Amino acid sequence: MSDQPLFSVRNPWFGISVGVTAAIAVLSAVAGLIWLPLAQPDLKLAGVWDAICSAAGVPRAAVQEASIKPDFKTSNVVMTSEMLTKADQVSIGRGATLAQRCAICHGPQGVSDAHSPNLAGQFAAVTYKELNDFKTGARVSVVMSPFAAAMSDQDMKDVAAYYAFLPRVPSNSLDTGRPAPAVVVTGAPMRNIPPCGSCHGDIDNKAGSPWLGGQSAVYIKAQIEAFASGARRNDISEQMRNIARQMTAEEIDQVAHYYEAQP
Amino acid sequence: MATETDHGPGEAVAARIERRWATLSIVIVGVLVGMAAYIGIHQATMPQGRVETADPKTLHLSGEFIESNLGSEMQADGSVTVRAIGQQYSFTPQCIVVPAETPITFRATSADVVHGFLIEGTNINTMLVPGYVTDLPVRFKTPGDHVMPCQEFCGIGHQGMWGKVKVVDKSKFRDMAAAKRRLTCVD
Ligand code: HEC
Ligand code: HEC
Ligand SMILES: [Cu+2]
Repeated sequence: MSDQPLFSVRNPWFGISVGVTAAIAVLSAVAGLIWLPLAQPDLKLAGVWDAICSAAGVPRAAVQEASIKPDFKTSNVVMTSEMLTKADQVSIGRGATLAQRCAICHGPQGVSDAHSPNLAGQFAAVTYKELNDFKTGARVSVVMSPFAAAMSDQDMKDVAAYYAFLPRVPSNSLDTGRPAPAVVVTGAPMRNIPPCGSCHGDIDNKAGSPWLGGQSAVYIKAQIEAFASGARRNDISEQMRNIARQMTAEEIDQVAHYYEAQP
Repeated sequence: MATETDHGPGEAVAARIERRWATLSIVIVGVLVGMAAYIGIHQATMPQGRVETADPKTLHLSGEFIESNLGSEMQADGSVTVRAIGQQYSFTPQCIVVPAETPITFRATSADVVHGFLIEGTNINTMLVPGYVTDLPVRFKTPGDHVMPCQEFCGIGHQGMWGKVKVVDKSKFRDMAAAKRRLTCVD
């Protein structure tokens, strides 16, 4: 070969190969960033610059078109798994005072012997969310709603922290030997029912899912039926209604008695 | 310039071969780019043209993914937009109803972790990623029922997560859409 340098503009091989490579790159860029996006009518692009940005994947907030507003109240609580997990003593103390008003129904220790739900040992995020939903009208109960109506956001957090601090007390029907129904441990995958335990504890806990152990069977049954019929719809984006709708009457009965017998 | 005299016929042959191989590789690159372009325009499933964001924690508060706005919407131009969300461990709406032989746009997102969005018996298969909107143009040829399982492990209740897609006759859908602005087949 010659002693001419390889990487030199005077070397025709070098010039041609770099030129061709650059030409392919430019053509591909024009095709991919401008021509192809503009060829998609669904994209409704505003121009060349918009085409380049959308093809390059520059994120933008979804366009807010007029959406249909609900004709009922939905929950406005933003639920995260960190929510109200750090209790402080002051909050618990304030909550204890506020909770005196609740004792007639929910019991002085947060354990009810009527069919009002137990609150002792409930996750603070759950108690807070339910109170908030009663207050806004997303969840309705003629008995309970008036008590939430006058509570401030801080009151609800304090009461929630107090009840989360109280120890859970098993119900009179405690029976830890009771076999778990299939729907609790494996769900019914053929009917779009995940295991109850994958959200309500024992297997896993999804933020905002109440602890059900020791709750009265009458209450559990009534709530599942209310979700199934749509009488209760404060669950965010139908996460519990989707499940309740698929359950048989027999399954509802089984889980109600099972959870009542759990600690 | 080096002198030409000390180059034998060998170099001419080498140069010719090299030129041919270079041309061939340029042609291959050109065909690949052209193929990508052709598929991008003419095949059904292509990467999404736009990256749109939506906050997974506040989907239920405002915007297009609030509960009452989910389901199938008949657009003025005759096409249909379906809005849905995936969450641990169900799709909402749980049953989606769409017309056959109609351009349909699925707009969906996730409220928590990554979920799969796959409609059995079709080539519809994508992901719902929290924070982003999945926007997918599709078309169903014939009426029929499909299942829509989540095909991306999303947690311990994943196996129970699936939805239904009911493809109905175009005229039947039009009658349904006359009565209600957001349609689902949840009973
Ligand atoms: C007059 C009786 C009564 C009083 C007083 C009362 N509640 Fe209730 N509460 C109920 C009933 C009944 C329910 C169940 C409502 C339903 O069936 O939907 C309930 C439900 C709740 C729930 C939802 C529990 C769950 O697991 O979903 C919370 C939280 C709650 N109450 C908190 C309170 C607090 C805090 C107070 C005091 C400020 C209070 N309640 C006072 C009767 C009462
Ligand atoms: C995807 C997670 C998930 C699964 C699976 C699930 N739930 Fe729930 N459930 C929830 C959430 C979240 C709530 C609270 C809804 C709200 O925001 O008020 C709830 C609420 C309930 C309540 C009302 C409790 C109260 O104190 O208000 C009952 C009862 C219940 N679920 C029973 C069940 C049963 C039985 C199963 C199994 C068949 C089940 N759930 C499966 C998420 C789940
Ligand atoms: Cu999933």
